[in-house]
Formats: sequence, structure tokens, C-alpha cells
Amino acid sequence: MEFFTAYKEPRPVRLPEMTRTFAYESLHYKYGRDTWENQAVSLDHIPNFDQLSTLEKYNAAIFEIASNAPIRVCENELISGAATLGAAIKHMVPATYNGKLLFDSVSHLTLGFDNVLKFGVNDIKKRINKSLSNQTNKKNIETLKSMLHCINCLEIWHGRYIEALSRSKKYAGNLKNLQNVPFQPATSFYEAVQSLWFTFAFTRLCGNWPGIGRIDAMLGPYLKKDLAQGIITIQQAREVLAHFFIKGCEWVRGGDYEGGDAQHYQNIILSGVDENGEDITNEVTYLVLDIIEELGISDFPITVRVNKNTEITLLKRMAEVIRHGGGIVAVYNEDLILDALTDFGYDLKEARTFANDGCWEMQIPGKTCFSYAPFDALKLLQDATLAGYDKNKTCFDTYEGLYQKFLEDLKEAVENIYKECSYDSEYWNLRAETPCSVVSLFTEECIERGLSYFDGGAKYYVISPHIGGLPDVVNSLYAIRRLVFEEKKVTFPGFMDILKNNWEGYEPLRQYVLNHYEYFGNDNDEVDRIAVQLLDDFSDICQSLNGRSIILYPAGVSTFGRQIQWAPERMASPHGRKKGDVLAGNLSPTPGTDLKGATAVIKSYCKANMKKLVSGAALDINLFPTTVYDNEGIEAIIGLIQGFVKLGGFFMQLDVVDNNILKQAQVHPENFPTLSVRVSGWNARFVTLNKEWQDMIIQRVSKENA
Amino acid sequence: MKLPVVRIQRFCMHDGPGIRTTVFLKGCPLRCKWCHNPEMQKIEQEMFYTPSKCIHCRMCMICKNNAHVFTSQGHFYDRSKCRLCGNCAAMCPGKALETVCRMMDLDEIILEVMQDAAFYGKNGGITISGGEPMMHPVETIALLKAAKEKNLNTAIETSGYFDKEFLPVLCKYTDTFLWDFKDSDNARHIENTGVSNEQIIENLLIADKLKANIILRCILINTINFTKDHIKEIAALYKKLNHCTKVKFFSYHPMGSSKLERLGCSNNGKTEWMVSEKDINWAKSEFLRNLEAE
Ligand code: SF4
Ligand code: SF4
Repeated sequence: MEFFTAYKEPRPVRLPEMTRTFAYESLHYKYGRDTWENQAVSLDHIPNFDQLSTLEKYNAAIFEIASNAPIRVCENELISGAATLGAAIKHMVPATYNGKLLFDSVSHLTLGFDNVLKFGVNDIKKRINKSLSNQTNKKNIETLKSMLHCINCLEIWHGRYIEALSRSKKYAGNLKNLQNVPFQPATSFYEAVQSLWFTFAFTRLCGNWPGIGRIDAMLGPYLKKDLAQGIITIQQAREVLAHFFIKGCEWVRGGDYEGGDAQHYQNIILSGVDENGEDITNEVTYLVLDIIEELGISDFPITVRVNKNTEITLLKRMAEVIRHGGGIVAVYNEDLILDALTDFGYDLKEARTFANDGCWEMQIPGKTCFSYAPFDALKLLQDATLAGYDKNKTCFDTYEGLYQKFLEDLKEAVENIYKECSYDSEYWNLRAETPCSVVSLFTEECIERGLSYFDGGAKYYVISPHIGGLPDVVNSLYAIRRLVFEEKKVTFPGFMDILKNNWEGYEPLRQYVLNHYEYFGNDNDEVDRIAVQLLDDFSDICQSLNGRSIILYPAGVSTFGRQIQWAPERMASPHGRKKGDVLAGNLSPTPGTDLKGATAVIKSYCKANMKKLVSGAALDINLFPTTVYDNEGIEAIIGLIQGFVKLGGFFMQLDVVDNNILKQAQVHPENFPTLSVRVSGWNARFVTLNKEWQDMIIQRVSKENA
Repeated sequence: MKLPVVRIQRFCMHDGPGIRTTVFLKGCPLRCKWCHNPEMQKIEQEMFYTPSKCIHCRMCMICKNNAHVFTSQGHFYDRSKCRLCGNCAAMCPGKALETVCRMMDLDEIILEVMQDAAFYGKNGGITISGGEPMMHPVETIALLKAAKEKNLNTAIETSGYFDKEFLPVLCKYTDTFLWDFKDSDNARHIENTGVSNEQIIENLLIADKLKANIILRCILINTINFTKDHIKEIAALYKKLNHCTKVKFFSYHPMGSSKLERLGCSNNGKTEWMVSEKDINWAKSEFLRNLEAE
């Protein structure tokens, strides 16, 4: 039984054989396939269903799910509860009427699970009842009643597990452990893990995709206490926690999907400071790293909050995990992010609790309703600023003139986002009507305000404009500046024609542009300065939207995987790329242009004033396995992380990828069922990505390393 | 002061401790048959020509010496006519033509090396390699000194074949010596590298006396030095050293061969020279066995 690694040595073995087998089977789709087979419960039997209000329909759906979703108790599992309906994997509430799924569900958030551990669901119930007694508005009362109803459903579902576990003596331990949670506060580490899992699984069962957030902050204190009292050993704790991670593979089902087969969005954050600025790193932090190092489970993308005081022991453990590949552990620069969040207006204490939306965009967990609005800046440059390369409609005498026009177009694009998703827009109002009581339960202030998560209950509403294709815009502007305005090798109209014709007949010029200029990602100030300026201007434009309504508009940079779907829509680009080429992802260099290695890429990226990119900007770094061999490899990874933090980076996804292995996996997928790679904010099994996505990953591996 | 720099490579991990930037210099007194960096042997400028990258645009015809000729057979580059002025390379769109080195001021080199200062930490820094950096003893030592002034950790990769008079000052500015020890059998050494190993061994012992921190790097080449005796001799040499912290074995790799072709020479690399991972492990254990056997 081997768990895939990109490293020359196998992964360490610490867990008992039984747990490893459970992990192996889960990673090889045993439960995912089972989940996929049962898509949804049916609401067809409910009389007069059509006449029910939207919220009543939702209530019926949750009731039906809780009462009838298959119960799954896996052989030898230590914690129980399972999200067993396949339609949830499609981001829908898994309940149908006349064969149709009715409700979209919620993602891009981390819920307030910490309150469940500390106070129990019964406390939430109490708060709802109290709030009910204060409400007079009918809608608010219905909203709160729906939340109460969801707790009842959770109780029903819980009861079914209690019953299932009591059928076999084998599960006596599980049974006892599940008896009181999640309704009562957890009293031990084991209970806390069960409570967290059960609540998480229930929200997933109902179709939602929340992140988990700061698992070590939540569970660490329980473990500390239990260890001190001798209630549990560290080995036992590792095993219990391993089951949490193994159960988190219950949706991976084999087969290929856009974006890959993965348990999306169940992100975990490790380490960092607490509300008072104290380091929270504890035994659980290290146990999590132990577990994923051993089992290679990539379905909980983990980001470690690193700051200038982070202990070298932790960095070393991260490096040891990272070098196995799979892209599981990413890095947040905590110091910078706290500055960014407080500059933006969040209170420092609150900022310190930050987690993410399930990719890497920052948010205050349990209090935020987040969405983002992506757009393709390269297409904007090509279509708007350069008028589709029509030389009769566009001509600039100076580089500055060109840049100013692009800024105007950028401003308009961002204003359009504002118009389309602002407070009271059609988008906003439509969304406000989407029922989401399961999520409201774990979102602060929904209860006290009597409002749902989508409809004004959350403390923060965030719509983040996300600029995509930025490195390609920078490279395009740079190539035009050099070629047309500085070297005057072609005239502006002449160059427009060349680009319009996809470089046809101008191969030497294209080769020149490709090979004689250094682009973003090579630590060349001349070109990097354009990126710095553009990011600055973009964040200023976004900043100007704040204060107009209750919505916050932090600037962000991303493509996730959109560079693939954008490719056919784009024309040839001035930096030598032809129509249809897949270009830069996130804030990483255009594939094939980073010739100076990882440190130069990090430096180019870090020159931007990241503090103003409150929603974050991701950098993908791929290392070749031989680079990270031995102790030197550990030192190298630590050096990269420390340099990244020192230079003021934001978020870095480090992966160890061997192109040869990836190419082999394309030909013989059957040999690499669990080989996982960092896609973008999430990890997926490489062989389950479709061909375009696989090629993108292969191309992304830096030219230097190839 | 200037040095002929072939390449400055950032983010190097295996050229000494930590993250390093390696400066490759042109010129070497040895002519190892298996050389990994043949473009760094001659001290003079050379030209890389990679036919597969040539798109036949004829831009290189700007050459005043008519070194580039185009016939129905294609592009022919006549090295005998070339004066290595680099004009054609500057024009060549796809870098089919590329000059091997450029002369750089020491300040310029240091500036580039300092670009990665944020990543060096306590251990990382600069490695000077080649070629044989000590082909340019005064400049190399000045570069090491300048690096030390920037608080960088310094390393030099050397064949050890240079004038011993330089050792005291070299040791003063060098934190780590990556000492390439090619062969213990002197006849073979002369045959395959063109020089005797006596000077190399003498220098090694002097450096050790000067308390230089040394890492011995031993290339293993099948059918040449991959023998029991050679490993035994390495162990014996190691025993004489008090400041050698590591002995590393690695295999010949034919990566130098394609570069030879691009320099207009015939490719004389042999894949049979390679040794396997298993052979390396054998060498390691054989080495340890010899150390223990008193
Ligand atoms: S380097 Fe100068 S002399 Fe040599 S071929 Fe090129 S242009 Fe001619
Ligand atoms: S300039 Fe370069 S690409 Fe053009 S013909 Fe000469 S060698 Fe070939």
C-alpha cells in the first residue's frame, strides 16, 4: 500500500495499518462512487408542493435529506457522519421535485464552527429562540423558524447515526463519543473532532461547500488538556484526526471533470496568531502535517500562516510535506495580510482570525458573505484599448497615452462589475431570495438580526473584483513599448496589422519578441514596474467603490483555471503569443517566460504593493523533484518561504512536479490514480483533469525546471 | 576589473549550503574528456550555433566577414571567418546564434548576485564556478572579497589546479571549497584531463592546513575511474584531511555533449560512461568500508 510521492523516498509510516487501509480505499474512490450513486432525495410525495413558499420548499428539502439520505458507517471509522448524496458534489441542495434539483447551495465561505465546539448547537438554538421573541417582522420570524427547523433536521440525522452505531458493539466508542455532540459543547479532543466533523458533514450533506478554517486553533486546546490529563496519547490523537482527513475524501469518485476530481473548498488554515496576537501553533498543527505527509491526502488544501516569527521547526515540517508533491501546503504571509486587512478597515482583533473562502481569498470566517467577479484584462486590452487591433480605430503616439487609455477601460470594467452586482442590483436581490438557513446557523449575526446569510444577516458582504490575465497585459504593454516606441522596429498601425493576422508572415519578429525581451517573472525592474503600477492603479479603482453601499470591494488577482476558457476568445498578443495559447494563471508569469528560476519569479511578484490587494494574489511556484532532494532541498524550500515573507508576498502555492511523471500519467492514467497537483486554490488528481487542464499544468512547470 | 561570465544562475541548491547564486566563468586549464561545461574550457569568446533554432531569416548576413552563407542546402556558419564580434547574435531572433560569455565588471556581478539576498539566510550566498575560476586568480579573489563585504557566504568550485601561492588569500575569503577530485591515478589523470594531479593534491593538502572547509566532489565515470582502487584512494586522501566535511559521489552526465555540437566540435560524450544510482550507492559504501578498515 503506497501513497504517491514525487520524492525519491516513500512517505513515512506512523499510523496503524487499519487506518492506512481506510485512507487507501477512500483515496481510491470507494466512498465517492457510493456517494455519486445516490444523487438526491425526492420531494415528489409532498402534497401541494407547488403551492409552498420558496423557504417552505427549502425546509422540506432539508427535512427530507436529514430523514432519508443514506447513512454510511465505514468499516473501522473512528468518527461518524457522512455527506452521502451525489448532487451535493454538483454544488446543489440534493433534493429533487419532478426530477429537478431545486436549489443552488453556498460556497466561498468558512463557517463559524468554533462556536459549535465551544458552545454546542443547543446554544445556537437558545439564541434563535431568544431572537424570535424579539422579532415582529414576519419575514424575520420565518427566517429564524427555518433555522430552528434545520437544527431539528440535524437532530433527526444525528438520531439516525446514533441508531446505526448502536446496532454493532464494534462502534460502542463512536456511539459514546457522538452522544452529546454537536449539541453540547465538546469536552474532549475526541469529541471535538467528532463535533467538528459532524457539523461540517451536515452542511456538506445539504449541498454547501464551506471551508473548515483554523483547525489547530479550534482543536488544539482540547488536545492540550487531554494530553495533560493523560486522557489520550499523541498517537491516538493522530489517528482520530487522521480519520477526519480520510472521511474528507468521501466525494472523490474517479473519472474526469473540469477542474479535476477533488473535494473542493474544504480548506484548512494552520498556525498564525490569535485575536491577541499570540502564536496559536500547537500539537494539532503538527499532527495535521504528519497526517498529510503520510497519507498524501490532498483534499484539504492547507495554508499555513507564516510570519516573521514562525519557528524554523514548523517551516521544516512544511518543507518535508511539500517535497512529496501534491501541492497540499501553501503559504500565507500573515504579517502582510494583517496589515492589508486593517488598512482596509477591519478591526485588528477580527483581522487576526482570518481564514479563506475555500480558495485563498481572505475573509473573516463565520461573518462573511463573499463573492468575486472575475474578468479578463488581456481581452480588455485587446478588444477595448486596442479596438480588436483595428488600426483605423486605435493609434497611440506614446506609451503613456496607451497606458492611460487602458486605465480608462479598466475603470469602466470595474464600474460595470459594481453596476451588475451592487446592493439592490438584480444579482443581489435574486441571491437574497436563495434560501440558505443551514449556512445562516453558523454565521454570526444572522440569528440576532433575524436575516439569512444572503439577505443581510452576515456581518460583512464582500464582492471582490478579480483581475485576470494581468501578467499578459504587463508583457503586452512592455513589448509594445519596446518594439514600437523605443526601438521603433515597427509602426503602431503596422504592429496592429501583424497582431490582427496572428503574426502570419512575421515569424522572425515574433521570435525576436519572444527571445530578446525579458518578461514579468525575471526580476527585471523595467518590466516589473509596469506590473507594480498596474496593480496599484487597479486596487485604487476598486477602493473607490468602497463606501458607496454596505458591500466591500477588495481588489484581487486571479484566474484560477480561467486562462483555459479565455484562450480561444483572445487574439494574438504583442509579447509573441498566438491566438489560442493558454497564458498566465493568477499572478504567475506567462508559461515559458520565467527563465531565471523560482527566486526571480518571487521577486517580480513581490514588487507589487500587496497590501492594497486585500482579496489576495496567488503565486504558483513549481519545483522539480531533484531540486528538493536531501537536506539541501529542505533548506531551499525554507529559504523560498522566508524570502517570500520577507519580500512582502501574499499567498504562494508551492508544488513539486516532475513533468516527465505528468506526461507518463497522461499516457497511463491507470498507473497514477492518486497523483495530485495544485491546480489553483485547490488540488486535484492529475489524471481526472481533462486534457486542456493537464496541459496547462505541464506548461506551467517553469521552463528552467523542465 | 572584469571577468568573462558565461552564466549567473540563481536558485542553485546543490552548489554549497542553502540557496545560492552560481557565477560561471570561462576558462579552464584542464581538458577533461567528460567535461560538463565544454563552453567554459577556452578562455576566449566562442559562439553557440543551434541549427534547430534557425528560422532562416538571414538577419545574420549583416556579418562583415561573410561568415554566414546561405545556399540551397541551408544556412552554413563558417567559424573560420568569424571574428566573434557578436553582431549577428544580437540580431538573431530565435537565439540560434549566441555568444558564450560576456565581460562583466565585478560590481555588476555582485549587483546581480545580491538580487537574491532575501533568500540566502545564514547559509546561502555566492558560488563561483566554471571552468576553473582560478584561471582568473586576481579577479576571482577580488570577487570573493567583495562578496564577503556584502556578508555573503562564499563558495568556489575548483579543480584545484592553480598556483599554490594564491591559497592563503583565497582561503581567507572562501567559506566552502567544492573541490572536484577527478582521478587518483595520475597516469589516467594526465591522459583524460591533460594535466597531472600532483599539483591538485598538493593544493588540497595546503588548503586543509589552512583550515579551509572542503567538500570533495568525485565524479564517477564508468570504464575510466569507476574502480575499487580509486574509491580506496579517495578514502585514503580523505583520511589525510582534517577539514573535509563531506565527500560526494556523482555520475558523469552526457549533458555537455549537445553543447559541444553547438560549439562546432564533435560530440565525444559516451553514454556508457554513466554510472547508475546503484553504482553511486556502492561507491558510498565502499568508501565507508575503506574508512573503517584501518
Ligand atoms: S560574430 Fe561577428 S564575425 Fe562572427 S559571424 Fe557574427 S557577425 Fe560575423
Ligand atoms: S539570424 Fe539566426 S535565425 Fe536568422 S538565419 Fe541567421 S542564424 Fe538563422
